[in-house]
Formats: sequence, structure tokens, C-alpha cells
Amino acid sequence: MTAKLSDRATGQALEPVVPTSATPKKRRGYWFDFNQSLPVNQRLILGAVGWVAFFLLWQITAQMDLAPDRLYPGPVAVFDSLKTLFLEQNFLSDVISSITRIVASFVIAVLIALPLGLLMGSFARVDGVLNPLLGAWRYLPAPAFIPLLLMWLGTGNSQKITLLLMGVVFFLVIMLADVTRQTPKVLIETAKTLGGGRRIILWTVLFRHSLPGYVDTCRQMLAVSWTYLVIAEIVAATDGIGAMMMRAKRFVHVDDIMAGIVTIGVLGLLFDVLFRLIYRKCFPYLGRSHS
Amino acid sequence: MPSSNGLSISNVGKTFRSGGRDIQALENISLELPAGKVGVLLGPSGCGKSTLLRMVAGLENPSEGTITLNGRAVDQPGRDRGMVFQDYTSFPWLSVKDNVAYGLRINSDRSALNEGTVEHFIRAVGLEKFADAYPHQLSGGMRQRVAIARTLANYPELLLMDEPFGALDPETRWQMQDLLLGIVRKERTSVMVVSHDIEEALYLGDVVFFLSRHPGRLKEVIHTDFKSALPPNDREAFLQSEEYRRLELHIRRLMQDEGRDAA
Ligand SMILES: Nc1ncnc2c1ncn2[C@@H]1O[C@H](COP(=O)(O)OP(=O)(O)OP(=O)(O)O)[C@@H](O)[C@H]1O
Ligand SMILES: [Mg+2]
Repeated sequence: MTAKLSDRATGQALEPVVPTSATPKKRRGYWFDFNQSLPVNQRLILGAVGWVAFFLLWQITAQMDLAPDRLYPGPVAVFDSLKTLFLEQNFLSDVISSITRIVASFVIAVLIALPLGLLMGSFARVDGVLNPLLGAWRYLPAPAFIPLLLMWLGTGNSQKITLLLMGVVFFLVIMLADVTRQTPKVLIETAKTLGGGRRIILWTVLFRHSLPGYVDTCRQMLAVSWTYLVIAEIVAATDGIGAMMMRAKRFVHVDDIMAGIVTIGVLGLLFDVLFRLIYRKCFPYLGRSHS
Repeated sequence: MPSSNGLSISNVGKTFRSGGRDIQALENISLELPAGKVGVLLGPSGCGKSTLLRMVAGLENPSEGTITLNGRAVDQPGRDRGMVFQDYTSFPWLSVKDNVAYGLRINSDRSALNEGTVEHFIRAVGLEKFADAYPHQLSGGMRQRVAIARTLANYPELLLMDEPFGALDPETRWQMQDLLLGIVRKERTSVMVVSHDIEEALYLGDVVFFLSRHPGRLKEVIHTDFKSALPPNDREAFLQSEEYRRLELHIRRLMQDEGRDAA
């Protein structure tokens, strides 16, 4: 099936189709068609095209003297400063602090959210108590608690990790509960008629069925975590990617600030890829419909 | 007087409350299915076949009446009543082998697992080549065979099936019917199947329970003793037999009456 689709995708669609009686009519496809699935190498090439175009545009506009170089450096300058940051200014330790905060807060968030989400998605009475409560907390913006957290926990790591946790955990609980709730009723009933008790069904059907959804939800919420990380490190921090960027701002080192943004982008992407790999490795039974 | 052997349903009724209104799905159903027999619930759409089967499975509680299996009252789902659903409910994360073993595993039935029960039933449904495949790699008919093997491997006293072959093409459907009859005769399992296909009902059933609708009542009980005089596993001879044609016509008339009442 893949072969058929790739043939169609690479066929020259823009040529006019001239039906002749001598040659057998070849089926032609469009460059743009609905429900096309592309081979991997073509997807990579297309993805690279987008990025190359972006960097070219950036470099060209930077050289056009629209703004002083100091305020709008091109990608080459930014990569230079990235190199300097890592080699001469020990930026790696900032990056490690940031990653530690993200990972620590996220692990705690999952440890809290997973049991609650599983129970809420499984049992209407648990959901009845917790959903109105946690659902409302979701709408309180975590940064609003920064002044409180600063007073209670100071400016150290515990304050930052708590902020990250608050930003993520309420959403996570509600989303994991939603994933759990989507377990088909008929699978639960099948397990019941095979003699399964509630504890067994909770683990071998509801939890097990929801596992891929949990991983996918965590992948998406981790992206949100990065947002709160920058907020936390900009407010009061001596180390971390955000702290480095605030230091750079004081000396108008725009290239360093941009280097920080690039670093966060790359790290976010790496975590995303990591979760996708886990997904693909752990859930082969989902077939090819999920990417 | 409920016999202590087999399934006994006495004076069972079911009323659903939905949107503040009571809907009576079933009224005063009484029937007996002796152990080792195949019973078929036949009737027009909406007459309550699925509801009755789900009550036997313990997935739904009767509003009135009692259901007993081999003398024990039914009040919740249990291993003694295995159910095969219409949509092929294999667990997608388990291989065929693990799906079939699921019931024995959750019941910690080590002896059955060690005796090769799982392999036996995978062979019985002809899936030995696919033992390590995942459900998404199988066709609908194959997935339904997984569900049947999984239920039978758990050694239920009564096998419940709700239109198990309803979504299959005719050829596969015939194969599955023969497969089911073969296994059931060999294992001596009692079976209650829901169907809305007259041919299937008469071919599978030792007894056919015809239900009418609004509310669902037991209208007629049809025995198919004539099949014992026919050569076994011969659909051709079955379809051409005098008795089959007579009963088929009779049930078709019952169905048409139902349709007229509804109109
Ligand atoms: N959970 C429910 N809530 C309310 N009404 C229900 C419920 N389940 C079934 N009913 C009603 O009970 C009646 C019988 O339904 P049931 O599904 O048992 O019919 P059926 O004979 O299996 O039909 P079909 O052949 O279409 O599957 C229908 O009128 C249906 O609307
Ligand atoms: Mg039904």
C-alpha cells in the first residue's frame, strides 16, 4: 500500500494528461491530494525545506540593515554566541539546572496526577468529588501564585519546582481522567464476564488501555512545562536558561538571548521526540495509524 | 419449577428509566435451557434480545423475576457465564495467545494454563498460525474467533453470544457457525445466542425462543428435533429438508406479523 501511494506522490502531476491509444494509460496523481501519506524520506526533505527557508530568510533580513546588528543578529551570529556560551561561559550547567527543574516537577506531577486521573476516569463518584475542585483550579494562572511562593518558599529550587508543578498538575489530572474515561465499555464488560474483579479490571483493562493516551498527554503537557520554566527562571534565579537570558538582557546581548530561545526550542523538540520514540517502541499493537 | 440443571429464567421483566419515562423492554419472560443445549433468542429489532442476554450475563439487573444457572441465582457477572459481543472485543494490546489466556490469568487458573488449554482453543478456532499476531493484524472474522476462543478457554458453564456473526460476510458466517457447533458439541457447553437471522437460528439452535416486541414477550418456543435425523454438518441437507422449510416459513410469518403491528 505504501508503494502505491509513493508512486502516486512522485508522479509528475502537472503534465497534461494526453490519452493515447498506443500506450496504456498510466494513473496519475496530484502533488496535493487528500489523505496522501508520504514516504519517510520525502517527509524529511519537506521538513528540511521549511527550516532552510526559515534560516535563509532570517539571515537575509539580518543583513539588510533593517535594524542594528546588535539588536537583530542573524542565525550565524546566534550560533557563534551559542558556541561561546557553551565553551567559555559554562552554559551547560544552566541547561542542566533547567532540565533538572523540568524533570523533577514533571515526575512529581505525573506521580500525583496518574492515580487521581485513573480513579476519576474509572469511578464516577471519585470524579464527582474531584472534578469540580480540580477543574476550577485549572483556571487559576500559576504565575499568579509567584508572590506567595516567593514568600513561602524563597527563591530556591523548591519555589520553582512548585510553580512548574502547579502549572501542569491540574491540567494533567483532568486530561488523564479523560483518557481513562475513553476506555470502551465493551472491553470492561468482556473482562467482567471473564470473571475479573474491579481491581483486576482497573489495571488490566482501564489502565492498560489508557497507557498510550497517558504517554501522549504527558508529551503535550511537557511542552507547557517549558513555558512555566522560563517564567520561573526570569522572575528570580541565579542559574538556568531563563536566568542566563535575563543576565544577557542587562548587557543587551541579544545574540545570547536568542541563543537561549534556540536552546529551549531544541530541548523541547528533543523531549517531544523522546516521547514519540517511547510511544512507538511500547505500543506496536496500535498499528501504523498513529505516527 | 426451575430445574437445577441449565439456565432457568422465570417471570423476568425489565423496565428502563430514560428521560423521566419508563420504557418496558421485557415483560414476564419465562424459559428453560437444559444444560448442553444451544438456545437461540430470535425476534425483531428492539424486542429486547440483547437486554435479556445481558441480564443472564449479570451486566444488567432484572426489574422483576429471577434467573438461575445450574441452581445458582444470577446477580452479577461471573466466570460461569462467558460472553461474546457483537463488536469483536479483543484486547488490542494483547497478542492472540495472550487474549485467549486472559481469562485464565486473571482467575489465576494455573492448572488450565499448564494443561495447554490456551493452545487447544487457539487450534480449535484455527488460529495457530496467528498466535503471536496482534488483533489489528487480523480480519473481523478472525478477531471474533479470538473472542470465542478466549471465552471458551475460561470454561464457562454457559456461553452467551450477542449476534456474534452479524457483521460477517455470508461465507465467513457459515464457516463460523459450523466452527461454533463443532466446538460446542465437543466441549458440551451450553450456549445462548442472539440472532435475527431465521436460517442461522434454526441451524444453530436446539431450541429457538421467538420474542415479540413492545414490550418484549416470549411468543413461541420452537424445537428443532428434526435435525437429529439429518446427516451432521450438512448445511445443504438441512436447507432442503421439509421441516426446515416449514419452520422457516412459519417464523417468517411471525416476523411479518411483528412488522405489521409496528407499522
Ligand atoms: N440502557 C438502556 N436505556 C434505555 N432503554 C434501553 C436501554 N437498553 C435498551 N433499551 C431499550 O430496550 C429495548 C430493547 O433493546 P435491545 O437492545 O435489548 O433490543 P434488541 O432486541 O437487542 O434489538 P437489536 O436486534 O436491534 O439489537 C429497546 O426499545 C431499547 O430502546
Ligand atoms: Mg441487540
